[in-house]
Amino acid sequence: MKISLNALKYYVDINVPVEELCDRMVMAGFEVESIEKQGDNLVNVVAARIMEIAPHENSDHLQICQMDTGADELVQIVTGAQNIKVGDLVPAALNDSYLPCGAHIVNGKLRGVPSNGMLCSGEELCLTEADYEGASVNGILILKETHPVGTDMREVLGLDDYIIDFKITANRPDCNCFLGVAKEIGVVLGTEFKAPKPEYKTVGGNINDYISVEVKNYDLCPRYIGRVVKNLRIKESPVWMQKAIIASGMRPINNIVDITNFVMLETGQPMHAFNYNDLADKKIIVRNARAGETITTLDGKDYNLTEDMLVIADGEKPSCLAGIMGGKESEIENDTKDLFLESAKFRRDNIRHTGRTLGIRTEASGRYERGIDIVNVEYAAERALQLIYELDAGDIIDGVIDCNQGLPEDRIITVTTDRIMELIGVDVPDETIVDILNRLGLPTTINGKEITCRVPSIRDDIEGRADLAEEVMRIYGYDHIVGTPMKGTVVRGKLLPERIKTDKIKKLLTGAGAYEIATYSFIASKAIDTLLLPEDDVRRQQIKIINPLGDEYSTMRTQLTTSMLTVLATNINKKISDGRFFEISKRFVPKSLPITEQPHELTTMSIGIYGKDEDFFTLKGLIEAVCKIFGAHTMYERSTEPYLHPGRQALIKANNKEIGVFGEVHPTVTASYGIEEKVYVAEIKLDILLGIEKRKTVYKPLPKFPAVERDFAMLVDADVPVGNIERAISSGAGRLLERIELFDVYQGAQIPEGKKSVAYSVWLRSADSTLSDKEIEDVNTKIIKKLESIGAELRK
Amino acid sequence: MKEKLSAISLEAKNAVALCEDESQIENLRVKYLGKKGELTAILKQMGSLSPEERPKMGALVNEAKQELEALITEKKDELKAKAQEAKLKAETIDITMPAKEVKSGKLHPLNTVLDDMINIFQSMGFDVVDGPEVETDHYNFECLNVPADHPARDMQDTFYLAENLLLRTQTSAAQIRTMETRKPPIRVICPGRVFRADEVDATHSPVFHQIEGLVVDKGITMCDLKGVLEEFAHEIYGSDTKVKFRPSFFPFTEPSVEVDVTCSECGGKGCRVCKGSGWIEILGAGMVHPNVLKSCGIDPEEYSGFAFGIGLDRLTTTRYKISDIRLLFENDKRFLDQF
Repeated sequence: MKISLNALKYYVDINVPVEELCDRMVMAGFEVESIEKQGDNLVNVVAARIMEIAPHENSDHLQICQMDTGADELVQIVTGAQNIKVGDLVPAALNDSYLPCGAHIVNGKLRGVPSNGMLCSGEELCLTEADYEGASVNGILILKETHPVGTDMREVLGLDDYIIDFKITANRPDCNCFLGVAKEIGVVLGTEFKAPKPEYKTVGGNINDYISVEVKNYDLCPRYIGRVVKNLRIKESPVWMQKAIIASGMRPINNIVDITNFVMLETGQPMHAFNYNDLADKKIIVRNARAGETITTLDGKDYNLTEDMLVIADGEKPSCLAGIMGGKESEIENDTKDLFLESAKFRRDNIRHTGRTLGIRTEASGRYERGIDIVNVEYAAERALQLIYELDAGDIIDGVIDCNQGLPEDRIITVTTDRIMELIGVDVPDETIVDILNRLGLPTTINGKEITCRVPSIRDDIEGRADLAEEVMRIYGYDHIVGTPMKGTVVRGKLLPERIKTDKIKKLLTGAGAYEIATYSFIASKAIDTLLLPEDDVRRQQIKIINPLGDEYSTMRTQLTTSMLTVLATNINKKISDGRFFEISKRFVPKSLPITEQPHELTTMSIGIYGKDEDFFTLKGLIEAVCKIFGAHTMYERSTEPYLHPGRQALIKANNKEIGVFGEVHPTVTASYGIEEKVYVAEIKLDILLGIEKRKTVYKPLPKFPAVERDFAMLVDADVPVGNIERAISSGAGRLLERIELFDVYQGAQIPEGKKSVAYSVWLRSADSTLSDKEIEDVNTKIIKKLESIGAELRK
Repeated sequence: MKEKLSAISLEAKNAVALCEDESQIENLRVKYLGKKGELTAILKQMGSLSPEERPKMGALVNEAKQELEALITEKKDELKAKAQEAKLKAETIDITMPAKEVKSGKLHPLNTVLDDMINIFQSMGFDVVDGPEVETDHYNFECLNVPADHPARDMQDTFYLAENLLLRTQTSAAQIRTMETRKPPIRVICPGRVFRADEVDATHSPVFHQIEGLVVDKGITMCDLKGVLEEFAHEIYGSDTKVKFRPSFFPFTEPSVEVDVTCSECGGKGCRVCKGSGWIEILGAGMVHPNVLKSCGIDPEEYSGFAFGIGLDRLTTTRYKISDIRLLFENDKRFLDQF
């Protein structure tokens, strides 16, 4: 909340510089967003006297002025204004000056004549009549002879105020006003705080002869106070009030509207003034809107109301959107004769809901949403009447209508000082505790160690000892807290098994040249379409965000591949020649759609690679290395993912469980990402892979006897996967098999059409003896037999 | 004969000295010491000598042979060494030529920083736990003392997936799940991804990361909180870093504080990074609100605790002086390679 420092000084003595005030308020829990010195945006503008005026030979409206700016030499300034004469004292913006409107003035020429500055109007200095008499005149502002020539305009205008923007935390709605902040300043600085004591005179009469008030829904409106003021004398409000209102970011209108706004800023209690004569049947009815009712608000907009919205109606129709904005029809205008003044409390969630539904947020509704004090409702009404009386804005009719169902009692907290301070661990003397609480407006007495603290409703954020501890400490000073090392039993911090396992994967992949990426958990709703998945694919069952930032971030991802493709495209677009990337994150799989319970959040890994040294098999190598961490045995089957190359993709099985797919990305898909080269991706269900428990490692003795190497070269049908050949060799070799290595695959010249030549080296070894020629020959025969059984033709 | 011997020996010695490569010396060896060599020839002529002279002469010849052999061996070694030296010299390489690349990747900077944090807190006995990213209103708000109409809900713009389901706005939700499943003493951190409806710009991201810390035990005080955070700050920012508490408000802690550390850039003197204040805000913390303890079935009269929430993204961008948070999610390899 922005507050004028001068306004605050009306309620509390401020005996320190503004910077120190702000520092100390910050340490008491009131963060300062900004300190704006008035006039900071008005630089190098001085009061200057017009010494000479000459016509401009190339213009019939421009005049050339010689200005005494207090410097040794006169300054020539060209102006278009006509309301000036020699001898006038006027504001002159000199070379390199800044005006509040943001303009930067430098030396220049106007129609060929040098002009070394600018003479300013009230408007150009952003002044109103409230700031300086004559400011609204169309033309140059003529200054009064209060200051000598050369005086900085900031001094002339009396711009000595600071506007401080306090960030009021959500637990302190009582400080969204001058009085709340001033009271805290008094406690922080130890100076006196004085709230105005409302006093005024009425002109007699009886309010009940003028109006009746009925609250139909006390749940949404726990208190409603009404007053009537006759014979309004509508005019401008006084300068001090206008300045305070402007400083807080509002606009002065007229004395009545300004009083309601000022009282809201001063007390935190929103007020509303109705044109009494526009109220049908002289009735105020606080009720829910009826279906089909509409209202035109002060800003001229029409709204359709629903039954959950609270309105202030007259005998016929809604006249005000309760707590949010008044109706156009009962607006206070310059010829309004009589007014009905409202000061009320509305339930904050209802105001919040209505405001959100209709898309309206006002100074008043913001305060209601944060919560206002039911007791303060009355004080604010009284204060408004005092100002009406003091400013002679109208005649106050006797009597008050106060609708409520009882006011809350003060909350009494009884607790020992030890119990308060044991949350903090700092010794604060009992008398200091009591003193701080009393100064904060929480009347407190002490008996032995036990304090009794009376908490008024305006501080209903204070519920118990923890709150009292905070109140004491923020005033006593958090710098009294001295860090202590952790106490208690010595324990070892443990990691979840999943983190330990994924850390291993990350170590492996980074060691293998891959970079870990981080991408958003939500993607564009259409992103899934890029994978060309069939309509019934389960990955299309995506959870939508109800209120996304835009379609681009609207859908919880069921896969990581689209994000990976985006990252690959980003890097390729930047002409980065190659890359290996991986991401471990969650995919969100709904149990049903639309969702009614938390979805499955499944840990998933994507890998994406591209570059001249990368292909299907480098990716396969990375996958196998990952699976090896878990001691898992991998197998591959042909898969049919639409987003992968139909002939270059595989389903991965680890220990016979399907854990994912990988392959070369389909050219149609890469094209939709603007990728022109081959890229390879894998998507692995880590939730399944991490579930594979590695068998306990037991040492195997190193071989003592020599191995025998045998080569097998053969012709097979071109479409026989080498995996089948390996299985044949492996079953033929049995337990003597140590290692198989594919060393050649060839198709082409000298090989019959439809065939391929495949060659393997096979190592055989026995753990307990050197293999005899016979043993070797037997195995050889078995392997050949197995190979022949799958149609292989051995080449000698 | 004696004269002839000395003449041959002298000639041989001179010849050896003049040799320039191994083949020449091999030729010399054959010429003098070979079966048909000149020294061998002298031995063969010994028959013409008297029996008295023969052994003397024999000894002289052998001596000459041995001497020459030793000379030849020495020369051979010398030439070998020279040849090797020349070869090595010829093999000199340009050591500034590029290395044969060992491809190695990097962890994402967020996780590099997270790993450091986990190490710090794990060593202080904190377990590292996890929680769901899609939360219920109950865990994300209600249990954290933020009922439906509470204005604190406006502090965080929430993404909703259904009336009652949302993307967690804070890892604090994991506090509740922890307190429901564990009994005090509790000492955990929960790192994780959180979401708020902030438009994307240089300092805001709708997806970011927090590390929630929670300690609940008998007699836990704010001094303990400060002690733990000082330990953390010293590890992350350096051992002379100071920690300052500033009063603040969070619905789930009371008292609540913002925690500042002395600016690591200027050491607290005030600079551009800390906007002249000498302090940098790093996290929010406080004593667990009694209502929160109660809602988890922990008696606030018996137990107390503290909680803190550290913004991992902010910590990462300040540590590496990254000017734009969007870089963290763009994943340019040249960016990722720097950490």
